[in-house]
Amino acid sequence: MSAVSVEHLTKAFGQFAAVDDVSFEVPEGQLVAVLGPNGAGKTTILEMLEGFLAPTAGTIRVLGADPRHGGRAWRARVGLVLQSTSLDPELTARDTLSLYAPLYPRPWRVDEVLELVDLTADAGTRVGALSGGQRRRVDLAIGMIGRPDILFLDEPTTGLDPEARRRTWGGVENLTSTGSTVVLTTHYIDEADHLADRVIVLAGGRIVTDTTPRELRAQGGPATIRYPLTDPAAAADLPPALAEGFDQSSHALVVSSTNMTATLGQLVGWAERHHLDLARLEIGPPTLEEAYLTAIGEPLTPEIPAHALTHPAP
Amino acid sequence: MPASGLLLAAQIRYQVRLLLANGRTVAIRIGLPVILLVTSGISHGHASAAAVASPATFGLTLAAWNAGGVRLVAAREAGVLKRWRATPLPRWCYFLGRIIATLAVGALAGAVTVAVGVCFYHVPLTAGAALVILLAFVLGAAAWAASATALTSAIPTVEAANVILILIYFPVLIVSGLLGSISEPHWLTTLASYLPVRPLADAVTSALRHATGTPLFPVHDLLTLAVGAPVNPASRRWAR
Repeated sequence: MSAVSVEHLTKAFGQFAAVDDVSFEVPEGQLVAVLGPNGAGKTTILEMLEGFLAPTAGTIRVLGADPRHGGRAWRARVGLVLQSTSLDPELTARDTLSLYAPLYPRPWRVDEVLELVDLTADAGTRVGALSGGQRRRVDLAIGMIGRPDILFLDEPTTGLDPEARRRTWGGVENLTSTGSTVVLTTHYIDEADHLADRVIVLAGGRIVTDTTPRELRAQGGPATIRYPLTDPAAAADLPPALAEGFDQSSHALVVSSTNMTATLGQLVGWAERHHLDLARLEIGPPTLEEAYLTAIGEPLTPEIPAHALTHPAP
Repeated sequence: MPASGLLLAAQIRYQVRLLLANGRTVAIRIGLPVILLVTSGISHGHASAAAVASPATFGLTLAAWNAGGVRLVAAREAGVLKRWRATPLPRWCYFLGRIIATLAVGALAGAVTVAVGVCFYHVPLTAGAALVILLAFVLGAAAWAASATALTSAIPTVEAANVILILIYFPVLIVSGLLGSISEPHWLTTLASYLPVRPLADAVTSALRHATGTPLFPVHDLLTLAVGAPVNPASRRWAR
């Protein structure tokens, strides 16, 4: 049975369609990341799934019910973390969770959920005195406290430092290990790559890709060469086909190629002329970020056509 | 599902705790009326019933108006209401808990002022009068909190709430004669008698004078407050 079923969902604000004829299903227990640039419609879809917004057209079922008309029993099965933190700063983390836990018929014990989100050591601290990452994990703990069958996370780690993000991810992973379904929106490709079983990419209110992170990478185009390049003289002498891939701001050569043998041949010849060691050379499939940018129509690296390599300029 | 009564009790405790959590606001709500009493209402170590009733009314209405108005808009703007709406807590439970907590804190603000008058400035107080004052406080706080709560549906931001609510609050206090006696024009004093300030102050004054022969139960004043007390739960913007 699907935890979420969305068919031909549309949400228009006046003439502007923020979400345009979107359909997808989320099976129980799956963690789905909804990716997309600002204005793609991620939060609008999530707000409709949560029952805060009414669709203009289409149908939504979450845990078998229309979210707009889900009663208390339905609400008890749904957890959510809103885009912005909405906590009372005067309460401690433990007090906050103790307030929410009795609302649910089968909640986690407060100590258990504090452990799940790695906040045991800060349980007695006022929310207002916690760091941004810790407050976000209190938010996550509130979303989890009712032992939800489905959890909606709206950009749960936006603005957090890398360590705080990792800890938040740990909390989400702990929840999914209990079998809960999770739908999260994020700007961070690595977050989707790390957490998600499946990635839905939105652009302009429509789904442009709905696949696994591995398959999304495969859709990202040909293999890519990455090589850090700090010698300006050598960079100036790059073969024309490779020179297009030199990024002066990052001092890196990033080239996608459909003919890797020829591209590598040019690169090795150029490196030998300049006595450069290619020990830091990386060759691999496109990153998820590159695949994502390709999916939304913004290629990150120039792709060298095969003929440019097989017939290099003299 | 958990029983609604238990959830309501938890909400009341939570809201009271929030209202009393900030030392500065507690000092303003409870300390300022006492300061007003001490600085302007004392003569030869004694305070009149009216001199106690006015600052007590001021403290109570300030607390109820602020809690029912500005704090509610702030909670809505910060997403707190949305967060609660996402839980299985019935909406009525949240708002009733909030309003009862507001009544309790508003009544406390008024009660402290009366207690200071009784304990330090020889204002007589009988047990019956104390009960009537408590009833007046509850009805007065309910009227103010309900009015502020109803207004918040038309107030978009906290900044606007601070301005709009102050622009309403102080003129109502002034025309009601709480900050200085007003006898003209007649229509204004008539209007003031139906706003929830004059009846509250008069009910408290009347009860405090009970020991000197004034009737204990100021029926007209309490009825006026009771009419203003019903809560307006119609606003959809609360949970925006």
